[in-house]
Amino acid sequence: MKKLLQIESIITLNNASFRTILTLHFLLFLLVIYVFTQIDITAPGFSTKNMFMFPHVWEIYAWIASWFNLLFLGLIIIVLTGNEFNYKTVRMQIINGLSRNEFLSGKLLIIFFMAIWAALIVFLSSIITGLIFTKDISIQLILDKSYMILIYFFQAIAYMSFALMVAVLFRSNALSIIMYLLYFIMIEPLTRLFFPKVVRPYFPVKVMSDLTPVPEFLSITSNSTETGGNNILDFDSIGLFQKALPLHLSLIMGVFYTILFIAISYWIIKKRDF
Amino acid sequence: MNEVIQISNLSKRYKKIIAIQNLSFSVKKGQVYGILGPNGSGKTTTLSILTGIIHKDSGSFQWFGKDPTPDSLKRIGTLIETPNFYPYLTLYQNLKIIAQIKSCSYSDISRVLGITNLLTRKHSKFMTLSMGMKQRLGIAATLLGDPEVLVLDEPTNGLDPEGIAEIREIIINQAENGKTILIASHILGEVEKVCSHVAILKEGKVISEGSVHALLSGDEIIHIITKKQDEFMEALVREGLVKTIEKVDDEIVLSLTKGSSSGDLNEFAFKNGFVLEKIEVSKQSLESQFLELIK
Repeated sequence: MKKLLQIESIITLNNASFRTILTLHFLLFLLVIYVFTQIDITAPGFSTKNMFMFPHVWEIYAWIASWFNLLFLGLIIIVLTGNEFNYKTVRMQIINGLSRNEFLSGKLLIIFFMAIWAALIVFLSSIITGLIFTKDISIQLILDKSYMILIYFFQAIAYMSFALMVAVLFRSNALSIIMYLLYFIMIEPLTRLFFPKVVRPYFPVKVMSDLTPVPEFLSITSNSTETGGNNILDFDSIGLFQKALPLHLSLIMGVFYTILFIAISYWIIKKRDF
Repeated sequence: MNEVIQISNLSKRYKKIIAIQNLSFSVKKGQVYGILGPNGSGKTTTLSILTGIIHKDSGSFQWFGKDPTPDSLKRIGTLIETPNFYPYLTLYQNLKIIAQIKSCSYSDISRVLGITNLLTRKHSKFMTLSMGMKQRLGIAATLLGDPEVLVLDEPTNGLDPEGIAEIREIIINQAENGKTILIASHILGEVEKVCSHVAILKEGKVISEGSVHALLSGDEIIHIITKKQDEFMEALVREGLVKTIEKVDDEIVLSLTKGSSSGDLNEFAFKNGFVLEKIEVSKQSLESQFLELIK
């Protein structure tokens, strides 16, 4: 474990692409939430500022950050893993005595620590924003929905595990990035259309993205006392988005897919000639 | 257990192409064992299987008398084809990764960089190195942790004569220090100078194997000048002393049958009244042996 951590830290921390993408991830996320917090549309019974109050800020920021998981963290994993094949350093590691299992474990360690990094950013920015915008703060209010950070952390791992599988499968950075994005944008959404509605929420991308579902903006921005706390104005109810699986089921399916992605990656690495 | 590597009926095919077929040989401790063969004969495939980067189809092999594991590879220094390192890392950082894998001290990095004359470039990025330097770094990496065995695939690939001489010297020094070395090459002069034993591969099969000395001493080439050329040639053939015999200009060039020596030839000439004005013995080079074998 310590050995793998040291190896991966040498490989990643000295990699300019890794540092650049991670910095971009951090700065763009801050920029986006800064821009969001500057939006101030207030009307009787409606305020965009509600989005940045506890407890809504947790789900809003987790949802915004989930796009960064998909784009930046997934791409980092593809680049780091793809480099091992492009530079043939996977051979170098194996011939010197690193097992194929350890090679994969090293990449999983990167995934784990990057997910912690991403969750930490969302956690800190949510705390700071929540403290600034919430008027009547209580521990109860802060903790409510804070579990979204854990779910966000898990979602980051799921996205990056998928990226790892794609990188191991295609080996070329360019092809992997294209296939990774195509799968999210086109392949799965189109494939889902050929299946009955009841099956569609069980597809991997759908499951992963539903872990941090689109927040119920209308009910959040509306004064909750006026809507009676019922989600009568949420996007599901007005038919904008297909209803997601219940959170616990999304989590179970997410765990299943993450294990599947890692197992497929392991199988490919185990079987492949380098 | 004196055998460092034991290979038994190893086979590998790439779709329809047979890379190696029922390959068997063993390398004993302290041997410098050369695998010779033309391009595509299966040298790299063999070494790649032995070092775990490709899977065998059938057969078996053992390292140090045991089935191979990643741990057995930590006792071996390997360079397969071109050296593979992270281009954006320095020499020191690249070797730190290998030191971590092999669980050896970082202090050994300076030692191996010193052996390969790369100490002054310790903090240069790998991508800034010349071809020769990259190859030397590959050799440095194999020496990290002072392994018992070196596996080198075309270690002088792409090097200039000076670079070749440097690498050869390093290999000879390591052999003198008692390391077992398995080296694949198609540069025969190289193998002849470095190796104690050799296996010659053709189309994935071992077609000859043994000590370099035995392989080279098997066919002594003898050049003779005598006044009675034709009579002497007939007498030699009648006596069954020669394996090959021909006239080249004013000389008779021959090779003796197994068990015969140039002394026997001289004695035969004396007893039969042939005066030999010249008798010169030269050993057949590995190159000519090799070319004859792979015909």
